[in-house]
Amino acid sequence: MVEITLKGITKRFGNFLALDNINLKINDREFMALLGPSGSGKSTLLYTIAGIYRPTRGRIYFDDRDVTDIPPKDRNVGLVFQNWALYPHMTVFENIAFPLELRKVPRDEIERKVREVAKMLHIENLLHRYPWQLSGGQQQRVAIARALVKEPDVLLLDEPLSNLDTLLRLEVRAELKRLQKELGITAVYVTHDQAEALAMADRIAVIKEGKILQVGTPNEVYYKPKYKFVGWFLGNPPMNFVEAEVEGDYLRVYSSRIPVPSHYREIIEKLGIKEVILGFRPHDAQIVKGVGDGLLGEVYSFEPLGREQIVTISLDGVFIKVFAPEEESFTFGEKVTVEIREDRIILFDKEKEVALEYLYKD
Amino acid sequence: MNRMGREKIKDLSFFLFPMILMILFFYIIPLVMTVYTSFTPLRNWNVERYLFEFVGLYNYERLLYMFQHDPTFKAVILTTVVFLGITLVINVLGGLVLALATFFINERIASGFRLLWLLPRMSPIAVYSLVWYYFFHGSEIGTLNSILMKLGVISQPIPWGQIIPWGAWSILIFVNGLVGVSFGMIVFTSALNQIPRELIIAARVDGASTWDISRKILIPLMRWHILYVLTWQFLSLLTTFHHIFLLVQWNLINRDYGTTLALYVFNTAFGRGEQDQGLAAAAAVILSIVGIIGGYLTLKLLKFEKMMKKPRGDF
Ligand SMILES: Nc1ncnc2c1ncn2[C@@H]1O[C@H](COP(=O)(O)OP(=O)(O)O)[C@@H](O)[C@H]1O
Ligand SMILES: [Mg+2]
Repeated sequence: MVEITLKGITKRFGNFLALDNINLKINDREFMALLGPSGSGKSTLLYTIAGIYRPTRGRIYFDDRDVTDIPPKDRNVGLVFQNWALYPHMTVFENIAFPLELRKVPRDEIERKVREVAKMLHIENLLHRYPWQLSGGQQQRVAIARALVKEPDVLLLDEPLSNLDTLLRLEVRAELKRLQKELGITAVYVTHDQAEALAMADRIAVIKEGKILQVGTPNEVYYKPKYKFVGWFLGNPPMNFVEAEVEGDYLRVYSSRIPVPSHYREIIEKLGIKEVILGFRPHDAQIVKGVGDGLLGEVYSFEPLGREQIVTISLDGVFIKVFAPEEESFTFGEKVTVEIREDRIILFDKEKEVALEYLYKD
Repeated sequence: MNRMGREKIKDLSFFLFPMILMILFFYIIPLVMTVYTSFTPLRNWNVERYLFEFVGLYNYERLLYMFQHDPTFKAVILTTVVFLGITLVINVLGGLVLALATFFINERIASGFRLLWLLPRMSPIAVYSLVWYYFFHGSEIGTLNSILMKLGVISQPIPWGQIIPWGAWSILIFVNGLVGVSFGMIVFTSALNQIPRELIIAARVDGASTWDISRKILIPLMRWHILYVLTWQFLSLLTTFHHIFLLVQWNLINRDYGTTLALYVFNTAFGRGEQDQGLAAAAAVILSIVGIIGGYLTLKLLKFEKMMKKPRGDF
């Protein structure tokens, strides 16, 4: 139950800059997701919090305590790995008991605590088995139990669900979220799966190439991406991006013209910017048949998904994706107009790929 | 189906043929010949006269008699037991310690360090033996003696290898042990590199010291390799005699307490003076039986079967 503060964390492996000046505050009892593509430095950051890596520069605080120079064992963190890292020569019981044995906890207390945590994770009838006798989901639970048994202040999870099949992943996801809140433990959860981060986390830190691009609630990072990358990385299908030119109060998008969204008028005026990238989510637009007010294009393809369908529309050769209700029917090549929900439009600078409002603030 | 089966056998025999031939020529035939010879009074390679004379267990009875009454042969047996026991422990433990030590230090330093320990194995037997011949030499030209004399620890050179039994044994064990550790080291190092890093990280986070990690995680996970090295080294120490032969031949170590059974077999069959191939063959058969029993026991001892995983079952 601690608050974690990272101040200017930089980590180099030789010449390679794995973490670049990371500043992040993780609140007490918060579920923080570190989201980013593979190789972005998520695990490195997690291991730095755990104390396995020493930062090249910067300080780490647990509450007011500076733990930068404190070895992992004295930080009281529980760590869960992607491959679960269960000791193959120990039974489930021995695996879970191992952290307590190292702490020289009395035998009967170990017994009690192991059973308690095993019960919590519904593995109490597997205690005598060896890891190779368990399914992936069960091994995963054992790994979590082993991390929790020592009652850590912080739970660190490195892509714990990515080795599970899709259905199981959804199930464990809900359970893990619930468990974290019930225990009231500060959790840092590394994942490259944006849906997982959106579904589970209180806040998400989006990482790319060792830098934190944006920190915010799932809603904020989803609807208010600070960078084009964030908008692209979150959501399935990702955000649509089209190039636009400012023409007075209008944006020219290829052969179409739409008004500058009201929340951008002042910013554009102040920046005096001409070329922007217009971003919007596939569900923040609707398709109107025929030619109207909006982005004009033609239906390239459509994929029914049950409740709704994804329609791919070609705007003079540039593809965008928009959700449409299931009952609507389309034909290939049909002329349509895409009407975007104005308040959901994000405009990015074409060069820096950062949302204009941030460009304006910096 | 049947045709395919026959095809398979044809393929298999094609690939196995060279190996089977090798085993036949270099293992089965010599073994049969050795066993046969042990029942003949063959001496001085006088094949026409002795090879077809059958003496039953006479050679084995002689070995038993020597074992009970001949001080030289008793020394050979004792030397073999002591040499084998201690060198085996040094080889396995030394290899384990070296592998673990290099595992926990910086990789670049570790590989240099490992190379250093490989030198004894890489140098030609004669060169390597010569190095230690000069090191342990009994006069003042011996490196050890001259160092100790310079330091003023001793005033007269000590003929180390002639101190019986431990002087001779120590040199024997030292020289062979040094060659042997690198084998264990290499096997264990590769075993350690197979162990997922996360296991070690997890243990570290839970507060395990390097010693805890070695004892409770790494060594148990290397059971199979330890068993392998133990058996392999046991068998190779049982039969090795190259270094020992040279050290005895050069008079560095005492002949009686420097001769193991393997060297005894060699000397008796091919050595200077009276050669007694019948007796040597009997001793060689005994040596083989010990090897087979020893190998079998080591496998048993470390619960070979238990380590073989049971199938995963129904979940
Ligand atoms: N111990 C290390 N030595 C050198 N480079 C490393 C080490 N660990 C990670 N890296 C590099 O740092 C980058 C980030 O790695 P990592 O944190 O594992 O990424 P992620 O978990 O986001 O996939 C990668 O390019 C990786 O190659
Ligand atoms: Mg990772």
